[in-house]
Amino acid sequence: MVEEWRFLDTGLHNAFYNMALDEAIAIAKTKNLVPNTVRFYRWQPSAVSIGYFQSMEDEVDIAACNEWRVDYVRRVTGGGAVYHDKEGELTYSIIVAENHRLISKDFQETYQTLCSSLVQGLNLLGIPAKFKQINDIVVSEKKISGSAQTRKMGIVLQHGTILRRVNPTLMFTILKVPNEKIRDKLIKNVDERVTSVERYLGKEVSFEELKKALINGFEKAFQIKLIEGQLIDFEKNLTDKIIKKYSSDDWNFRK
Amino acid sequence: MGRALLKVKGGKLVKVQLTRGKGEIQKIKITGDFFLHPEEAIDALEQALIGKPLKEEDMLQVIKNVIREKNVTLLGVSPEDFVKCILMACDRNG
Repeated sequence: MVEEWRFLDTGLHNAFYNMALDEAIAIAKTKNLVPNTVRFYRWQPSAVSIGYFQSMEDEVDIAACNEWRVDYVRRVTGGGAVYHDKEGELTYSIIVAENHRLISKDFQETYQTLCSSLVQGLNLLGIPAKFKQINDIVVSEKKISGSAQTRKMGIVLQHGTILRRVNPTLMFTILKVPNEKIRDKLIKNVDERVTSVERYLGKEVSFEELKKALINGFEKAFQIKLIEGQLIDFEKNLTDKIIKKYSSDDWNFRK
Repeated sequence: MGRALLKVKGGKLVKVQLTRGKGEIQKIKITGDFFLHPEEAIDALEQALIGKPLKEEDMLQVIKNVIREKNVTLLGVSPEDFVKCILMACDRNG
């Protein structure tokens, strides 16, 4: 019997809901109320998330966010600031028990194992993606995906992004740059450091096509079967409560 | 107040914001895109550094103690990198 995991595609939501739901699923998993889970989601409005240890004011131009109606949120995971474009990006999360065969005590090793699913998914689309330490996936040294992981009470939560289409102008409008003089240069040179599914393949790739390949990647890499499932009431109710934290200044500006 | 930024080779970015007293740390904020598990231990780390002398060996010991007590795992940054960045911020203290 192939091991079965729950698959959720929660579609478009705002940043606070998206972060709250990842946490709610993780808590439901610690209580063993739900199976191991893979979730896909997107961001509406587009949003920027920062790592647990980052300073919102250092990383994000709040005035620009307000002007462009971009949400901003602090993640529960470490790592860097990410601009999540509504059309440009697919986000995934994996919520799995820490004692699962895929999880090592070593964080670096676990990143590589969990990211191998995305690597395989991208490979299936014809993209020769590779894992790159510490937490990136690259195509010929250009970043196409980044992930971040945390562990709490016996579960592992890893979430991350897959770039479908790059929007460098808005990205560097929202994210702060060391000084204004290099903003244009960063936008111009983004092609040297970052790529996307569509840029690499030179054609349009729908979210549906991308998701299909990634689902295949998860099933092959993890030796599992993803079964489309539902959120349970516990997760829904908890999400409603946790949203308040993620939309509060206390949380978002704590550093 | 002093500020410094350190890009760890093959690793992540660390930023330190610091107010020094007479040779000791009065206030400190450590930020960056590194990974530290469990995440909440960053508060204990900052707290433990307050009041401690701005000396390399002392600070390294304080950080290593917190890492042991809280069973901390670091990724993309080392205790030595934190100390280096603190000393850089200290040099730039106005």
